[in-house]
Amino acid sequence: MTATRSDARHVARATDFTEWRQRARQLLQAGIQPADITWQDGDALHDDLFATPAADSAALPPADRGARLTLSRDQLALLEQSARYRDDACHDRWSLLYRIVWRLARGDTAASHPADSDGSELHRRAHAVRREAHHMHAFLRFHREAPKGNVASGDEASGDETSRDIVLRDSEFLAWFEPAHDVLDLGAEHFADRLGSSRFLIATPRGGVAWNGHEFDYRMPCPVAWAEAARTAMTGDDDHALWRAYFVSTFNPARLNSRVMTQHMPQRFWRQLSEGDLIPTLEAGARHGGQRLAQVASVGQRDGKPISLRNNYVSHTLSAKGNK
Amino acid sequence: MELIDKLSILADAAKYDASCASSGAPTRSSRGKAGLGASSGMGICHSFTPDGRCVSLLKVLLTNFCLFDCQYCINRRSSSIPRARFTPEEVVRLTLSFYRRNTISGLFLSSGIIRSSDYTMEQLIQVARQLRETHQFRGYIHLKAIPEADPALIEEAGRYADRLSANIELPTLTSLKTLAPEKELGTIHSAMGQMRQRIDAANDDAQRDAKHLPRSANPKRLAPRYAPGGQSTQMIVGADATDDRTILQSAQHLYQRFRLKRVYYSAFSPIPESPSGLPPAAPPLLREHRLYQADFLIRGYGFQAEELLNRPGNLDLEVDPKLAWALDHREHFPVDLNRAEPAMIARVPGIGLRSVQRLIDLRRQRRIRYQDLIALRCRMASLRPFVTTQDYRPAEIQWESSRLRRQLTAPQPAQMALL
Ligand code: SF4
Repeated sequence: MTATRSDARHVARATDFTEWRQRARQLLQAGIQPADITWQDGDALHDDLFATPAADSAALPPADRGARLTLSRDQLALLEQSARYRDDACHDRWSLLYRIVWRLARGDTAASHPADSDGSELHRRAHAVRREAHHMHAFLRFHREAPKGNVASGDEASGDETSRDIVLRDSEFLAWFEPAHDVLDLGAEHFADRLGSSRFLIATPRGGVAWNGHEFDYRMPCPVAWAEAARTAMTGDDDHALWRAYFVSTFNPARLNSRVMTQHMPQRFWRQLSEGDLIPTLEAGARHGGQRLAQVASVGQRDGKPISLRNNYVSHTLSAKGNK
Repeated sequence: MELIDKLSILADAAKYDASCASSGAPTRSSRGKAGLGASSGMGICHSFTPDGRCVSLLKVLLTNFCLFDCQYCINRRSSSIPRARFTPEEVVRLTLSFYRRNTISGLFLSSGIIRSSDYTMEQLIQVARQLRETHQFRGYIHLKAIPEADPALIEEAGRYADRLSANIELPTLTSLKTLAPEKELGTIHSAMGQMRQRIDAANDDAQRDAKHLPRSANPKRLAPRYAPGGQSTQMIVGADATDDRTILQSAQHLYQRFRLKRVYYSAFSPIPESPSGLPPAAPPLLREHRLYQADFLIRGYGFQAEELLNRPGNLDLEVDPKLAWALDHREHFPVDLNRAEPAMIARVPGIGLRSVQRLIDLRRQRRIRYQDLIALRCRMASLRPFVTTQDYRPAEIQWESSRLRRQLTAPQPAQMALL
């Protein structure tokens, strides 16, 4: 991370997309070539190692050397999405973006097209990010917080942080989720629309967010007490037993097709799903004979009866009360 | 009976209906409001069962008691299965509980016919009404429309539901007569016709409101929406001898006449105590898959059912319907990607609609090269014999279709790439 190109005359640093946009605008106006900039990621862990000062307007040549660039709303959204991409091998989220806007500013409109070499990487990252946001909307699970007493240990762990305790105690629904890219806020916005005035808390390995029904409280990194509470809640919510029963019954063993399932629901999410551990069992059961019929075995083992059309029988049997 | 037992029975009884989509609803949000639930038009699959099917909605029957005796159905009155019945409150409780835990985006409620069609329809409406009015639920609701029910009830159902569906199940009069003696194609069609009229009228009203928004921006004065996610239906595949051509023509007819949003195809799964005359075999999954592919080409790519199957029979199981059409119509190929109409590019095997749009955008800027197709992640193996670009002509132009077909199918046997 600290290796600086010998010919790089500018070091630019950005923590987030807004900051990058400002830097990029200045650099573009000053006509600084992509090859002459070393981009640094603001929230990398080695901040203190950066000896070179970040680029600022004072250090740049006069603005008239470079170009102005107007981006369409779609292009901007694409850049913003791809900046959320995280990958151990991907330290260059800013330099890719700068190279693209540099080319666009020079009239090279293909730079952001998916058939271009830079453009295809841009689209690939944006696509992976959108997909991960969708994964979060789909596979995050909320658990109702266990009765107050049980969370007390979590409160003690962070006894000096009263505001966190309040957030914790107020949150009705808690979730632990491990997103592959920076999509926490995209998920939080989505769940605020869904859950309305219910309070919730989402903890991830990086950040955390709490929603009190009116506003978000983002924390980076995620407070330890939040993470603990979210993980504890995963075991204490009885309604997930109902969900598991539903999952078993809605599966049709006669149609077993594991490949398609894992393609849509990558295994890395299974741990967070209350139905996750059922999947291998159901698969094995279907392979070993259960595949003959579509009906779930546990239902087939119950007593059943055909219905007679005699009126009195029908009205008796079919009223909800009579069915208890 | 415990709630969890009822759930096990009534989810098992409902799973033969393939539809589980939560798409097509208008944008709704509960932010800053009492109540619960949102919809965005885009469906969400919250889980996938090991059969590869999307779990988007709580899909249950209100009851699996049924007075009808449809032979293909596990819930027919002559079947000796365990029976159960939810109270409307129980379905409401399950829907809200699962929704809050983010395991579903809404409810798909159907039912066996109890007492009468009207009574059954009223019960379904009661659940939807409780969700919408008592709990201000803004998630997705799909209700089964019971064709034999009073039109006024179907009218009411559409005011609560995002989607309504009446299942056609069997596409021909004869097969309905033999396998579902109590059902009538005419009744199903007239229910679909009624729903189409109401949906169209509500869409017109909505457009009018959109034009005059300043005056009618008060939601109370906006026209009430009616099943904004449209209507769908399902056909069972493989329960009788009906061929794919008949099924696809029937689907095409339903799309045109009733403007259905979707036709679902459900491969017949063997059920316990299968009545004689029904196949005990494994469900024909690949056939079902080919029907979905063909359906997709009819809805999105401008194909006619008759083009995909120009004689009675079934779709080719070995190659997908688009490739089969291209192999049968070599005179239209190769397609010059730098000149061809977008509609013709969309007919090239291995090029999807999104790539068509991207190719059109790209050729406004410069000539299309072979490398671009790789960068756009098109399915190269399928498209190679069918296109020309600035720097590429296929070597296979002179080949007989049968030889080309052997080459295209040889390396990997026909694979089950399900949707
Ligand atoms: S009406 Fe026919 S298809 Fe519907 S539940 Fe009853 S038997 Fe099954």
